[in-house]
Amino acid sequence: MKFTDLLIMSLGSLWKRKVRTILTVLGVVIGTVSVVIMISLGIGMKKTMLDQMESYGSLKLIEVTESYDNSSNDDPTAGKLSNDVVDMLKNMEHVESVVPILECSGYLLTGRYKCYVNIYGVDYEGMKKLDIKLASGQLPKDETEIKPVYGNNVIAQFFDKKTNVYPYYELGELADVDLQNDTIFLILNTMAYDSAGQKDEKGNIIKAPKKRIVECSGLMEGGVEDWNNYSYYVVVNIEALKKALKKEYKNSTIPGQPTTKKGKPYKEFFYTTVNVYADSMENVAELQKQIKDMGYETYASAEWIDSEMKTLNTIQLVLGGIGAVSLIVAAIGIINTMMMSIYERTKEIGVMKVIGCRLRDIQLLFLMEAAFIGLIGGAVGTGISYALSPVINKALSHGEDMMFASVIPPWLVVLAIVFSTIIGMIAGFLPSLRAMRLSPLEAMRT
Amino acid sequence: MEYSNEVVIEAKNLKKTYVVGETKVHALNGVDFTINRGEFCMVVGTSGSGKSTLLNMIAGLERPTKGQIIVAGEHIENKSEGQLVIFRQKHVGFIFQAYNLMPNMTALENVELPLTFQGVDKFIREKKAIKMLKMVGLGKYAMHRPTQMSGGQQQRVGIARALVVKPEIIFADEPTGNLDTKTSMEVLKLMHNIARTKNQTIVMVTHDNYLASFGDKIIHIIDGKIINIEDNRENAERNFASLEENINNTEAMAIV
Repeated sequence: MKFTDLLIMSLGSLWKRKVRTILTVLGVVIGTVSVVIMISLGIGMKKTMLDQMESYGSLKLIEVTESYDNSSNDDPTAGKLSNDVVDMLKNMEHVESVVPILECSGYLLTGRYKCYVNIYGVDYEGMKKLDIKLASGQLPKDETEIKPVYGNNVIAQFFDKKTNVYPYYELGELADVDLQNDTIFLILNTMAYDSAGQKDEKGNIIKAPKKRIVECSGLMEGGVEDWNNYSYYVVVNIEALKKALKKEYKNSTIPGQPTTKKGKPYKEFFYTTVNVYADSMENVAELQKQIKDMGYETYASAEWIDSEMKTLNTIQLVLGGIGAVSLIVAAIGIINTMMMSIYERTKEIGVMKVIGCRLRDIQLLFLMEAAFIGLIGGAVGTGISYALSPVINKALSHGEDMMFASVIPPWLVVLAIVFSTIIGMIAGFLPSLRAMRLSPLEAMRT
Repeated sequence: MEYSNEVVIEAKNLKKTYVVGETKVHALNGVDFTINRGEFCMVVGTSGSGKSTLLNMIAGLERPTKGQIIVAGEHIENKSEGQLVIFRQKHVGFIFQAYNLMPNMTALENVELPLTFQGVDKFIREKKAIKMLKMVGLGKYAMHRPTQMSGGQQQRVGIARALVVKPEIIFADEPTGNLDTKTSMEVLKLMHNIARTKNQTIVMVTHDNYLASFGDKIIHIIDGKIINIEDNRENAERNFASLEENINNTEAMAIV
């Protein structure tokens, strides 16, 4: 028999028994809806979690810091993050980009206020990847002058030089500082600043470093109470920072940087952290392991997402299983309907055999009928789930927070329809076998 | 009329035994016969005589307990069910007592059905089916469903369905059993005429001795045994001729 004829015949016999077909399809619809909604809830949970993670930092990011274990080596720069290390990381497989970061500390001075800050030096391209949201201004591109972006918590760190009182923490009011428009001085060599006028080990009088006026480049978004990864930092361009450090420390050692055995500083800078971005989330774990094996310390948020994901996968499986119960019930419904149909059509099947219908075609006819019930049920079921999903999201969302309670990706739609069709065919298999094995003599019964 | 001597159906020592509880029932108990090409063969017997069993076996619907059946040159007693379906597709047409048309299909679709099963294109099978429907005088009823037709018309559709594949052999199991006498004679005549013109062999089972008298060969069967094989060619010719006359007369009388 031709495929189209099989199709028309099986659809025809479904159509002939409309009520029963619709009821059986309804069972599959309910089954599909419950499976799809349950799985979509699991996907929604994962998506919500991933979105939260994303806000803590990129999932493709591996933060590399210097090796702790360098005691066995005579070279003071061993395990430190030099430019060579940066180049090497850049050349590794699955690495999309590498961003070296230099952190140091300094003072901000303005009027009667002083503030101890952490300075985060990073190049312009790297800065853009940090997901810093600016309330005003822009990220500093200038590589000659330090033009900082202030984190939204920096303002809370100012204290009165004379009284040592923190206005924010002790008085509950913000320091009277306008970071954008006031004249702000930045001191990098805090040691020299603090001990100006005193003598160093060699007996030389320490000169206070020259005050550097810095022009504000931008302010981060958020109030003083809001927290993000960089809200306590002053973010600056790394090249400008290097130049300023060199100038301010001259030949003395910059804190955090290694010295030669003779106590001399090196010409190049060693980085505090190197951010390595993998080309995809899947490669993060492997890449992290490779870097770790080279002796460096690593941290990736993907690391603990992995275990979190495993838990969520289990939850999803359980949810899907609960949904699948009703699909199994629907499958039994299909078997029942097909059995009834074959019982009713015993004679018809006999006649078909007598007048030359091949056994395979008879089996196919019934398999296709069952498959159609599954297909129609699956399609309608996913359609209903699609309509239901936003309703669930609305009902479960808290205020303005976007919670993804139920997410139906395209693959789930395709999978649900294919799956219900296959379920239909599996359910139809036994009845179809029975139809195939009916004796042609049934045709002769009157 | 020329008769062929080519044997198209041959049964040798055919036996069929049913086991009912602990007793054995011999539905057929050693049957031998031959049927020639183009013959209109009647199998006559009372109910329970084994005539239907005989028909089912030579049509390949039922397996004999013992014996050989050669139809159109092929041994069919050892064929599997799948092979038998192919065999029927190629060689056999079937006419049923209860017509057995598909209730949800039109007359045309019903006649097409054997061709559909063979995988013939829609266009070709429709053409053949319409030609067949016209031949049985139902050209206008192509789009009617079985429930919209009389018994006689349904059986004509049944005949058209059996003949559409141009089978060598047509099996008919009490084809007039559900029809009144007049319609019975019409159906019989139709079968006879079509088969004659195409040189097809008909094997018909009936319990009615009068109907049997229209066969070229009459096989009498009682209690699973053939008691007599009658060569009835001359009588059959005469019977059909007088039947023609009768019908003409009634029609003439009706006109008068």
